Amino acid sequence: MTTVYIADTGVFVRCGGPDKNKFQRLRRALRQAGVSLRIPQRVYTELGGDPAADAYPSGNIPYPDGFEEGWIVVADDLDYTNPLVSTVMDEARRFIANETDRSEDITEKADTALVGLAAQVLDTGEADHVVLLTTDKPAGRAAETLIPQHGFSDRIEFRYVSVEFLESITAQEFR
Amino acid sequence: MAQSPPRSGRPPIQQLQTVADLLETPALARVYAHILHDGPVTVSEIVDTLDIPQGTAYDYVQNLETASLVEKTREQRPYEYDAEPIALTLSTDGKTQTITPALIAAVARREEDEDIDVYIERHGLDGLAIALEYAYEYVDGTVNHRIAARELDLSPLEAEIILQALEPVATEYVGAAA
Repeated sequence: MTTVYIADTGVFVRCGGPDKNKFQRLRRALRQAGVSLRIPQRVYTELGGDPAADAYPSGNIPYPDGFEEGWIVVADDLDYTNPLVSTVMDEARRFIANETDRSEDITEKADTALVGLAAQVLDTGEADHVVLLTTDKPAGRAAETLIPQHGFSDRIEFRYVSVEFLESITAQEFR
Repeated sequence: MAQSPPRSGRPPIQQLQTVADLLETPALARVYAHILHDGPVTVSEIVDTLDIPQGTAYDYVQNLETASLVEKTREQRPYEYDAEPIALTLSTDGKTQTITPALIAAVARREEDEDIDVYIERHGLDGLAIALEYAYEYVDGTVNHRIAARELDLSPLEAEIILQALEPVATEYVGAAA
């Protein structure tokens, strides 16, 4: 069984702070399990896109170390020509608008990149199980609700990345 | 204009001075937040829990008592104190903001959480009060950092940083949110 782990921006922000203990803990857990986290392009852009964020301790995230060491990888581009990917992302956009009681205009299609990527790796057979690590509850719920409706029941799991989750994470989490 | 429900007979403008001190003095805010959360407590319990000098703790408790933000609940030594929840609504130029216990608790954290400190430096206390409203939604799962970023005109990264920093406060005060 192949499980793909998809990580959102919030995971790395959660790792921040001066001591970086949580970052080291996550790194150790992934390396011991021999697993890497995939991040959508969108997340990569968010992590590196704001020099102002450097002023914050939690904005100073040593994620480039993860690329060098191979336990964070940027995922393939989303294939919008894949009808499942495109459909699920449109549905997720509506789902998030509804969940947050906002007009659809405030969400962008790329906001649903996590959900789209999950659908893509399942549809291409690259993974038979996907774990979504995120602090974006509306997107996590969208993935858990929508992807099973397209024939992938019990194949997607949303884990909310709390402080406690990262403080106690071990390789076991990725096996 | 300042409005506050009458509390223990202390008129709003007099309370306002102490509330301004609370917003400017994180250690004072910590004392208030602690009494509100754990009260009734004695001053020595405050000293032990918050690790602040005894003289400072006595001064702070007295200031808060004078402003009627805390009151003695035990008249014999050791005195015990409990806090009144603040709700001070300020309106200027059509903009309204309410100073709540949660906002005081967020300010109280700026010494230990530099993310909150940097956010206040960049966006002011009004910015913090608005971010706190988003933090309730974030905890509730009815907003994410991406939507918050667009509505608050921040980068998604900065939005996620402040929402995570305020998450403990929002979680603690969620029932008390107006």
